[in-house]
Amino acid sequence: MRNLRAGHIVEAVFWLGLVLFLYLNSFDFDQEIEIYKYGASAWPRAILLLIAVAAVGQFAGHWLRGENRSLGMLDKASDDGAEAAARLSDHNNPKWYAWTFLLLAIPFIYMNLPEILATALSLEKPGLHTAKLLCAAALLIVFILAIRGNPVGGMLTLPLLFGAFLQDFGFYFTAPLFVLGTMYLMGERRWKSMIMIGALIIGILLALFVSLLYVGLPTGNISPFYEFGTAVVNLLQ
Amino acid sequence: MDTLTNFMNGTVALFSDPVGIFIFFGGVIGGMLFGAIPGVSMLTLAAILLPFTAHLSPEHGIMLFSVIYCTGVYGGAITAILFNIPGAPENAPTAFDGYPMTQKGQAGKAVGAAVTCSAIGGTISAVLMMVATAPIANWAISAFGPPEIFALVFFGLAVASSVGASTFWKGWLSILLGLLIAVVGLDPVGGIERWDFGMPYLLAGIHFIPMILGFFAVSEVFVQVEKKAKGSYHAPKLSVDFPSLTELFAQKIAVVRSIVIGFFCGILPGIGATLAAFMGYNEAVRWSKDRKEFGTGKMEGVISSETANNAATGAAMIPLLALGLPGGALTAMMVGVFQMHDMEPGPLVFLNSGDLVWVVFSAMFFANLSILLIGYLETKTIINLLRIPFQFLAPLILLLATVGAYAVRGLAIDVAVMFAAGIIGFFLRRSGYSVAGIVLGLILGRIGEQTFAQAMQMLHFEWTGFFFRPIAITLIVAGVLTLLGSIYSSFFKKSE
Repeated sequence: MRNLRAGHIVEAVFWLGLVLFLYLNSFDFDQEIEIYKYGASAWPRAILLLIAVAAVGQFAGHWLRGENRSLGMLDKASDDGAEAAARLSDHNNPKWYAWTFLLLAIPFIYMNLPEILATALSLEKPGLHTAKLLCAAALLIVFILAIRGNPVGGMLTLPLLFGAFLQDFGFYFTAPLFVLGTMYLMGERRWKSMIMIGALIIGILLALFVSLLYVGLPTGNISPFYEFGTAVVNLLQ
Repeated sequence: MDTLTNFMNGTVALFSDPVGIFIFFGGVIGGMLFGAIPGVSMLTLAAILLPFTAHLSPEHGIMLFSVIYCTGVYGGAITAILFNIPGAPENAPTAFDGYPMTQKGQAGKAVGAAVTCSAIGGTISAVLMMVATAPIANWAISAFGPPEIFALVFFGLAVASSVGASTFWKGWLSILLGLLIAVVGLDPVGGIERWDFGMPYLLAGIHFIPMILGFFAVSEVFVQVEKKAKGSYHAPKLSVDFPSLTELFAQKIAVVRSIVIGFFCGILPGIGATLAAFMGYNEAVRWSKDRKEFGTGKMEGVISSETANNAATGAAMIPLLALGLPGGALTAMMVGVFQMHDMEPGPLVFLNSGDLVWVVFSAMFFANLSILLIGYLETKTIINLLRIPFQFLAPLILLLATVGAYAVRGLAIDVAVMFAAGIIGFFLRRSGYSVAGIVLGLILGRIGEQTFAQAMQMLHFEWTGFFFRPIAITLIVAGVLTLLGSIYSSFFKKSE
C-alpha cells in the first residue's frame, strides 16, 4: 500500500466508473443484427472490458511498484513536459482541483439554467433572452471574482465560457473580450499593447475568414448583440 | 523507369498549378515556423488547418499536410541548437550536442549541419518512399482482405500503445479511450444508435475535427499556460555556416546509419520521428569510440538526430498510403483529410487517384530539398519571430481553432466540444496519457470495427479462420507478443 497515492486511486475509480456507467447504458442498444451475429454491443463491450483490465493492471502496477517510471529512451521520446509542469506547479492539491472543477461548472450552468428558468416561469422568447442576458452577466461576475489566485483554472474555463456564449452573443462581440481575457490571464498587464495586438489579431482573422473566405461565424441571436454581429458582417462582406 | 516518369508527372502537376505552388510554399514556411516556435508544434498548425482542407482539392490537402510534416520536423532544430529549447519533441536529442556547440561559438555550423542533414535524410527517405510504396500497395491489394486489415489495425495499435505515453498502461488506456469515442453514434453494420443519450448531436458521432483541435491546439495552449512559457528570448547573432563537403563526408557513416534507423522508425506505428531522433542519437553514441565527447558539442550528435527524424517522414507515408494505416498523430490527421473528401487511404488510392499520390510524393521530395534553401534564408527571420510572447500567440491559436471548429458544420456546440476536449486533453496529458494515442484510436476505431465485422462475416464467425490466413495471424501474434512484452516489463523490469 505504501506505493499508492491518492491520484492512483482517483484514476482507477475514474476508469472503472466510466466502464460501469457505459456498460449499464449499453443495454439500450443491445440489439441483434440479422447479418451480424455479435450485434451492435459486442465491440463496445469488448473495449469496455479491455479498459477495465488496463485500469486494474495500472492500479496493480502502482500498488506493487509505485509510479514505475522507467527512464528508457521510449519514455524520454514521448515526454511532452506536461507531466513535469504539473509536478512543478502548485496545482497538484485537492483544493486546486475542487476550485477548478467548480469554475468549469460555470459554462455548464449557463448552458442549462436559462432554459430551466424559462420552463419554470413559462417565459416566451423575449423573456428567455432576458433570462440568458441576466444569467450571463451574473455568471461572468462570479467568474471574474472566482478566478483570483487561480489563473490556470481561469484559463481552462474562459474558452469554454466563450464557447457557451458564442451562439447567443455572437462571435463579433465575444471574441474581443475573449482575446483580452486570455492575455490578462496569461499575465499580460500592459493595456496598450493588449488592445493594439488584440485588434490586430481580430482584424487579421476577420479579414481572412469573413471578408476573403466568407466563413459565416455566429452573429448571435439576442438583441442588440444580433444587430451588432450582422452590422459587422455587412460591413466586411 | 515508371517511378521516374510518375515522379516527373507529379512534379509538373505540382508546379504548373499556381494554387498548388502557393500551398506548397505556405506549408514549407508554416511547418518550419510552427516547428520552431516553442509552445506550438506542427501538430498545432495541422489541427488548425484541418477543417479548411475541406475547401481544397484532396491533392492539395494531403500535399499541404505532407509538406508541413517534412519541414515541421526540421523547424524545431533551430531553437534546440540556439536556445536549448527544442521546438518539438522530435528535436530534443538535437539539443544534446547542438546547444553545447552554440556555447562554443559554433552555432552557425550546428544549424548548417542540421539544415543539410535534415534535407539529406528527408530527401533520401522520400526517394525510398516513392520506390517502395507502390509495390507494397500492389501486393496489399491482392493479399489484404478484411481479416488482414483488422489484424494490421490491431498490430498498429498494440505497437503504438507501447510507445506513446508515460507508461504502457497509460498508452493502452489512451488508445482505448479513442476507440470508445469512435463507438458513439451509429454502428457500422446495422445502423443502431449507440451511447447517444438521446442527444441529436451525438447521434451522428462525435466529429473528429473538434476533437483533434481540442486535443492538439487547445490542450497545448493550456499546457503552456501551466508551464508559464513567456517565450521571450534574446536572439543571438547568427549566420548559417554550412559544413564543408569534407566535414560532411567524414560523417557519412552517421548519416547512412541515421537514415536506416529513421526510415524503420517511420514505418512502424507509434511516434515516428521522435523515436527516430532518439534512436539515431543513441546509436551514434553506442557506435562511437569516444562516447564521452557526446553532449559536449559534437557535430555527429546533431547530424545523427536531425538525419533520423527527417528520414522518418517519407517512411511514415508508406503504411498510410499503401495500407491505409496511420502511424502517428499527423498521419492520422491526413486520414481525416481523406475522409472529408469521402476517400479512404489505402492501396486503392494508387488505382483510383494515382495523380494525387505522385503530387504528394514529389511535394515531399521538394519540401525536403527546400529545407536547404529556406533553412538558409529563413533562419534569421525565425529567430525574430520567436520574440512574440506566448500570451499574444495563445489567443490567436484559440481563435483560429474556434473558427476552424465552427466552420466544419456551422455548429456552435462544436466549439464547446472542442474546448471541452482541450480541457480533457490537458488533464490527461498532465497525468501522463497520450493525446496522440487517443486520436489514433479515434481514427482507427471505425476502420477496426468495420473490418472486424466484415472479417467475421467472411470467416462465417469462425475465429479459427484467422489461423488459415498467414498474414493476419502473423500480425495478430506479433501484436499480442508486443502487448505481453509490455505488460511483463511494466511489472518486472527494473526502473532506472
